[in-house]
Amino acid sequence: MISRRTFAALVTSVALAPTLTLAQDAPAPFDKPGDVNIALVRYLSTGDFFQAYLSGVEKQAAALGVNLQVFDSRQDAALQADMVDQAIALGVDGIIIQHGLTESMKEAAQRAVDAGIKVVAFDVNVENPAIPQIEQSDRDLARLALEAAIADNGTEWVAGYVYVPGIAPLDRRDETWKAVKAANPGIQEVAMFGTLDNPIANSVANQARAVLSANPNIQVMFAPYDEFAKGVKIALDEAGMSGQVSIYSADISTADIALMREPGSAWKATAATNPAVVGEVSVRALAMLLASEDPGAQVIVPPTLITQKMLNDLDIKNMEELGAKLPAFAHADVAMTPWMKLPPR
Amino acid sequence: MKSLSPTHLAIRYGFLVLMAGMIVVFSVLKPAFLSPQSAVFILQSVAITGILALGITATLVVDGFDLSIGAVATSAMMLSAYVMVIWEMGALTAVILCLLMGAAVGLINGLLIVKMRVPDLLATLGMMFLLVGLQRIPTQGNSISTGMVLADGRTATGTFAPEFLMLGRHRIDFILPDLVPLSVVVLVVIAVLTWVFLELTRHGRVMYAIGSNAQAAALAGINVAGYRVLAYVISGVMASLGGILLAARLGRGDVASGNNLLLDSVAAALIGFAVLGAAKPNAFGTAIGALFVGILLQGLTMLNAPYYTQDFIKGAVLVVALVFTFALSGRVGRARR
Repeated sequence: MISRRTFAALVTSVALAPTLTLAQDAPAPFDKPGDVNIALVRYLSTGDFFQAYLSGVEKQAAALGVNLQVFDSRQDAALQADMVDQAIALGVDGIIIQHGLTESMKEAAQRAVDAGIKVVAFDVNVENPAIPQIEQSDRDLARLALEAAIADNGTEWVAGYVYVPGIAPLDRRDETWKAVKAANPGIQEVAMFGTLDNPIANSVANQARAVLSANPNIQVMFAPYDEFAKGVKIALDEAGMSGQVSIYSADISTADIALMREPGSAWKATAATNPAVVGEVSVRALAMLLASEDPGAQVIVPPTLITQKMLNDLDIKNMEELGAKLPAFAHADVAMTPWMKLPPR
Repeated sequence: MKSLSPTHLAIRYGFLVLMAGMIVVFSVLKPAFLSPQSAVFILQSVAITGILALGITATLVVDGFDLSIGAVATSAMMLSAYVMVIWEMGALTAVILCLLMGAAVGLINGLLIVKMRVPDLLATLGMMFLLVGLQRIPTQGNSISTGMVLADGRTATGTFAPEFLMLGRHRIDFILPDLVPLSVVVLVVIAVLTWVFLELTRHGRVMYAIGSNAQAAALAGINVAGYRVLAYVISGVMASLGGILLAARLGRGDVASGNNLLLDSVAAALIGFAVLGAAKPNAFGTAIGALFVGILLQGLTMLNAPYYTQDFIKGAVLVVALVFTFALSGRVGRARR
């Protein structure tokens, strides 16, 4: 606590001191970034997405020069709340809450705010006006994928749809699908299926085989989750129908890139947000709060449309190359200020 | 053969009649259901759970239970991907290493149960958790695919060998060109081998004897411990074979717990009790049980039934099959004795 007080005094003195530096130099406290401590408190951490998110957080924190401490509760909601308290006790300046449950995090987040700590939350609603929400826009993901489907196939096609209700991101993607269907009466959904039985791709492939033989007239499969798209692709390959049906999906990974680029692949396009960029945006939003700027109550990271043609034309083989060769995927122009230092690209 | 009463007939042939009825109903509602292609993809959809179910049948015969098969299958999937994508070795090495892994897990399970006297459910439950964790350690929880970035910053350049992918994707000309996938052939071969082993060899009969009364079998001079270990080794090998086919179909190493594979194959083996009124684990029944679930699920999917109704119906079928086995066959069986 003493260190916090000393630090606050330092910040005030620096803020009051006449600035001799250039205009786009970092404002306090980022003129002395080595004294800034931030914490990332995670709920989910296993899997490609969360790995990439963490790397984004680490890179942006390093670019700013602040100290980052990572707390990983490994899907233990109570432990995650304890970890916020631990971060408060350590006297950090800012906290990023990554996922979690509203019920368990709401009060812990409020305690952090009461302690004068700046907090941002990614993909968890802690119901606190002082805490900006970082979100990847599932509606935009679905919209981009469907716009690509309409651009490729016109507005009249027979569709199969893969969906499992009750999963928040899929539900948000479903809202867009319903809206697009309502706006385009020529789109006819003849089958809806889906399952989360793992391995998901295998279970969805079994279902898709049945759907395709019952509805051989399907032209477009909308599978707004990459595991679904993978399953549908396996089924199309097995049924020898890859030439007749196009798959549009959401999310991307290195394995997905390989599947989209297979010769004659039915997987035409996917819309995705780069999890590493979401990580960077989380840190930038927190940095803006610390510098007494307002990132807004909602910071939405826009998705990018990635098509089979793009991947082939740019010869992209994995996620790193995707970030390097598709600038829109490597950087999102949100939570930006003139003084913000970005990770090297 | 003193009686062929209606109950007796119902118990013996009830499930087969039900299956035939189901095929008729689905064919009327969706004519596409009754095509060679549709028959083949139903078989393909049950190939992996069918093989796992035959493995679990082997352990059920000696009155054991193997909860680790789902995890063995997904571990074999990760191992084969690791061998080919990261170590850049060939298809044969991958297959052999996976089968050895399955056999080793089965051996450890068997020794835990026989030598350490850990109850079967607990030993294999522990093994299940162990494997679910173990398969993630080499890749820090990531799925394995070509082009992935390794922990040391290199990019994995190995690919799934084409011969390996053939196991899940190659099709053999049968009636129509390119009709029957290799995985279905593997299922049929394994089913026949298991049936021959359990029904026609001395070893099979000995295993049934152990299952019905281990003490009596031991007194008759049978190496009970040896056969029980053998049952778990069979189960482990079959599960790893299922995992190989899974990897060949998906073409990558997917992090998965395999719990659904476990549950589906246990259901198939238990439904198998009811087929032909066997009232005991048997290879033919298990194969029919797997097929029954496959036909039901694919038919319902064709009719656009949502996934939760499918789980419900799967459960209902299992309950009915168990009633057949334990209430009806049990009664007739006792009367017969």
